Amino acid sequence: MSSLNLQRKLIQIWAFVFKNWIMTKRNVFSLFEILFWPVVGFLSVGLLTNFLELDADMSGFILIGIISMSVTQVCQIDVAYVLLYDLWSKSIKHTFIAPVHPFQLILGSWLIGVFRSFIVFLLLSVLSAVAFGFDFLRPGIGPLSLFLLGLFLISALVGISVCILVLLFGYKADVAAWSISSLMALICGIYYPISILPSPLPEIARAIPLTYFLEYFRSFYGFDGEAKTLLGLGFGLTVFYLMIEAFLFRVVLYRSRKNGVLIKLSE
Amino acid sequence: MALAIQAEGIYKTFRSGWRGKKEKLVLKGIDLQIDEGEIFGILGPNGAGKTTLLSILSTLLLPDQGKVQVLGIDALQDGHRIRERVNISSGNANFLWSLTVRENLHFYGMLYGLTGKQREEKVNSLISLFNLEEHRDVPFDQLSTGMKQRLSLAKSLLNDPAVLFLDEPTVGLDPSVSIWIRDQIRSIQKERGMTVLLTTHNMREAEYLCGRIAFLKAGEILTTGTAETLKRMVRIGDIIRIEFKGKFSEDPLLRADGVINYTLSDNFCEVMVDEGEKRLGPLVALLIQGGAQIEKVTLGQTDLEDVFIEFAKETDSDMGLRL
Repeated sequence: MSSLNLQRKLIQIWAFVFKNWIMTKRNVFSLFEILFWPVVGFLSVGLLTNFLELDADMSGFILIGIISMSVTQVCQIDVAYVLLYDLWSKSIKHTFIAPVHPFQLILGSWLIGVFRSFIVFLLLSVLSAVAFGFDFLRPGIGPLSLFLLGLFLISALVGISVCILVLLFGYKADVAAWSISSLMALICGIYYPISILPSPLPEIARAIPLTYFLEYFRSFYGFDGEAKTLLGLGFGLTVFYLMIEAFLFRVVLYRSRKNGVLIKLSE
Repeated sequence: MALAIQAEGIYKTFRSGWRGKKEKLVLKGIDLQIDEGEIFGILGPNGAGKTTLLSILSTLLLPDQGKVQVLGIDALQDGHRIRERVNISSGNANFLWSLTVRENLHFYGMLYGLTGKQREEKVNSLISLFNLEEHRDVPFDQLSTGMKQRLSLAKSLLNDPAVLFLDEPTVGLDPSVSIWIRDQIRSIQKERGMTVLLTTHNMREAEYLCGRIAFLKAGEILTTGTAETLKRMVRIGDIIRIEFKGKFSEDPLLRADGVINYTLSDNFCEVMVDEGEKRLGPLVALLIQGGAQIEKVTLGQTDLEDVFIEFAKETDSDMGLRL
């Protein structure tokens, strides 16, 4: 690939960063998304742990879960927004008549999602230290970075799922942007270990990489789990699902060109 | 001349309802050849399949059957390469509502890979070309319909497309804005030499802008040609109405060039000719020579609407016969 071609491809990726950034700036609701809801949710759960007089380890278990959930939700919504904004403004055909690859679309929006959710993480980790004495840096920068990378990649998985659903079902799919991550919270052990779930939910949880990333990070706080194995399983599953979703996205995009969804969603 | 667009045997069916059991055949074997550098119009009533055809040619939609080549590239195999060299503007334009005119143009400019300086220059020149300076920082959802349409046209020129698709570019606009937009389309095409494929149900727009026109009805192209050819083809010429005093023989009418049909009464004559402006002078001269004292002459020119109605009638009666 020539340097000019590479520059062109990078600009196309940057287009989606630009779009989501401007939409975020102009939308008051997005401020709520990254500041209000995560902070309110975090403080509520944190105070509940105080009220229940949980010990430091148990409180940590739950605080790791709630911070992970907030990071994932904020990052995944940005990936989903890349098509949702087009869907709501009925401009989806203009995106797909341009010579952009689905990969560029996802990567651009994911980058802005990583940026926004990292702000959420910083905010909540400072709050957790100040309000509840929980130290997020205890495992060290390396494990924390790997944990966050895992969360960001899972967010990409969820966001891509929403994009696929938008291309399949149009307006009916926007509800998925908020419900998939909530379902994950239920199954993957955000507030409790998956062992307490009735069958077959623990088996399903084992097929979702978030479960492994949570167990990986919690292992540094004295909970069961072989860190390396958990990390390997988490990333392995994530890469596997990303490959499946990349394939599915192409198939669904082809289908939407075939059945006219791209046109219908622009009318 | 090289072909910009070549379509052969295009069929398209849309499916809806439970498990896609309801089918609607929208295009029924469309063949089309459009030369490089021409403005080609697809004219037809609502529901004729114009937007579907344009969407297929612009790679937004895939046909069920048929071949499509745009700029010599197979649209079904290599749509991505085509998308680098084409662009689209639609009536009732929609873009990201919170982004201003300038931001929308920058965003789409980035999608076409325009670098910072190059993009800035291009965006500024298009803002100026479409008189959007005063609205450059206005969010899309606060623009008037006319301004939205200007933005849509500006966006469609960001990548200097070799083929520009215009889907009903003046629909819903008031007449003065429509005229301005038509003039812009014509002068831009003339200046840049790009191929323009335009769909419209506005006959005057097609006649004003297009070198050739295809009539599309119920998913079939009824005929293709220049506006003049089409008028001649249906043999519904222009009408010359003459009021006169005195009497004259019918001979001059029978001898006159371009007369398709005529009716004659005591002091009134209605003559249908192929080209009104060309035939008017010689015809009046012949009548005067034949002894008539001309009192009043009016010329009613046929427009594409009459031609379209005539074609639609012919098709309906053909179908009736076949049934």
